[in-house]
Amino acid sequence: MSRRDYLGEFEHIVILALLRFGDHAYGVTVRQEIEMRIGRDVSIGAIYATLGRLEAKGYVNSCLGDPTPERGGKSKRFFHVTARGMQALNRSHRALQSMTEGLRLAMRYSR
Amino acid sequence: MTQGSSIRPPRVAVWLVELFTPYEQTESILGDLLEEFADLTSKSEAPSARRWYWRQSVRTILHLVGSGFRVAPWSVVGAIISGFLLLGLASGLPERVTLAVLDFHRQPHVTPYLTWPQVQARLFWLTYGTLTALLLMSMLTGCIVAVLAKGREMAAAGTLSLLVGVLGAVEFLLWSAMNEYTFLPLPLVNALGVPIMIAIGGVLVRTIRLAATRRATQR
Repeated sequence: MSRRDYLGEFEHIVILALLRFGDHAYGVTVRQEIEMRIGRDVSIGAIYATLGRLEAKGYVNSCLGDPTPERGGKSKRFFHVTARGMQALNRSHRALQSMTEGLRLAMRYSR
Repeated sequence: MTQGSSIRPPRVAVWLVELFTPYEQTESILGDLLEEFADLTSKSEAPSARRWYWRQSVRTILHLVGSGFRVAPWSVVGAIISGFLLLGLASGLPERVTLAVLDFHRQPHVTPYLTWPQVQARLFWLTYGTLTALLLMSMLTGCIVAVLAKGREMAAAGTLSLLVGVLGAVEFLLWSAMNEYTFLPLPLVNALGVPIMIAIGGVLVRTIRLAATRRATQR
């Protein structure tokens, strides 16, 4: 298995944010969800750069919605996690779980 | 219409984001920024919303430039190297072109010697004509670099402009220090003008391609 099959930390976070919104995930919702849940103020450019990378790997696909007046007539780009993306997410999750198993990280670093 | 929706985001920031984003993401990124900006203006003061827009735009541009290097390293770096080589190889060209233009109407067999006013006029045109040709050549280089880095025009032209600007500034400062001058308009125009014209070349190509892409999607 190559290094490319695993998700990077931010890729992992972005895919999890996409899953939370299902069919309604787009740049703004993903950015705000990350800011709300982990307090990380990321730029919309960072979200799109990561989504572009994930799309190139086949982990995510996207489609354009209808243009809306509150967005100045500009369309939303909705993102969906693909089956390949889900596999990559599970693989990275399992890898993290097995590496942290038995470490009691909370106890070790709370001092 | 609410007060928030009547306030527009900073035009320059919108324009810069449009220049640096890949075509397929331009509309969605600008739409997302506008949506959050409208939301912010309805909750807070317009100046703070504008500051937010500027901060987001700058960070977005930096991320997209960085991602341009990661996604298409060979085309972006290749375009920048080509631009450097082109500037280096053609560095003597503006002076030669200006001299050729000046000599075009001169008839040495009729008037072999130049009078003092003619010498002054020739020096004037040699100086400013060479500078103009250099600036035009820099713009052309910016255009070529942008054409080579398809889809990442401003990442390539902007980086080349920045590199040439830094090198030009260092060269200018060293030259001024060695010649004991503190301010020289002409070398300063040279040092600042070349990187600016490279960036303008990139902007031109990007704007033309963006307009062509819009026309194609509207059909």
